[in-house]
Amino acid sequence: MNDLDYLRQMRSLNRPVAPRRDLWAGIEARLDEATVAAVPRRRRAQPWLMAAAIAGVAVLGGSLGLHLVAPTGSDGLASASEVHWKPTDPRLSGAAVELDAARMELTQAMQDSPDSAALQRLLLKTERQRDRLRNLEKQAG
Amino acid sequence: MNALCLAATSFMQPELPVATSDDDVVRAAIGGDRKAFETLYRKHSDRVYGAILRLAAFDHARAEDLTQEAFIRAWQKLDGFRFESAFGTWVYRLAVNVALMSIRARNADPVSIVDDEHLPDIADLDNPVRAVERDELEKAIAALPPRARAVLVLYDVEGWKHEEIAIELGMAVGSSKAQLHRARGLLRRALGDKP
Repeated sequence: MNDLDYLRQMRSLNRPVAPRRDLWAGIEARLDEATVAAVPRRRRAQPWLMAAAIAGVAVLGGSLGLHLVAPTGSDGLASASEVHWKPTDPRLSGAAVELDAARMELTQAMQDSPDSAALQRLLLKTERQRDRLRNLEKQAG
Repeated sequence: MNALCLAATSFMQPELPVATSDDDVVRAAIGGDRKAFETLYRKHSDRVYGAILRLAAFDHARAEDLTQEAFIRAWQKLDGFRFESAFGTWVYRLAVNVALMSIRARNADPVSIVDDEHLPDIADLDNPVRAVERDELEKAIAALPPRARAVLVLYDVEGWKHEEIAIELGMAVGSSKAQLHRARGLLRRALGDKP
């Protein structure tokens, strides 16, 4: 067999081949799994997005708070361990709610991904923002 | 063998995509229409299965598993299909990639590595090769080491270029050429040694 014959023979192998059995039923059954698997993956991503969005809103709210409440000095950061913070100043209450929600979302997200550095950074940032606002509230009396 | 290489580049052309556009059916499938996806499966499964079967050493059971896997991945990735190529071409490439991933995974097996390392010197392999039956040729290809077989099938049968093979198999272009050279040598010996 010369080279051309060889190539012709190899080329003859390039042909569609029907599977010995219908594979569609098996594929269709697994499409359910694939769809179910894909949906939670998207849902798992939502707390991340929500947490990031809420943290962003909280930072914005915090900045607004900073502008509304003039700083007079620092007398230490408030404890981050206090779960609920309800500022008496109505100008801060919106930011406080947002920060609490962000903290809760992040805590929940971290239950799924406890080793996530990004989530840890976001949580730390949120708590620092919260402490900062608490501190401002104290300063404002 | 040089003449063979030259002839291969001009003789082996990739199979043309299907003439009829699947775009409307693909759009329906992207929207979650399973009947549409089944239509696509019915239309393209034979080509996909054929390519996978050749890469899977003509092992039907394995080819069936890989074909199912390929179409499931196609379903999952459908929303990433950009209509820049024919659906048939897209699903064919995806399926080949699934088969090659399987080969790469198996290559972690020391047995496969030994296979590649023990490819014989091909200097004495220029035996004349007689015309063979398709079954005989398939058996000889199936007996090749996995990566050498993959390169041979992709280049000589499927009509891929070395650059494409190198990317898909994660090897240098020179390695792809060397594997093809060795695979052809092994194939010639396997076929030529027969009475």
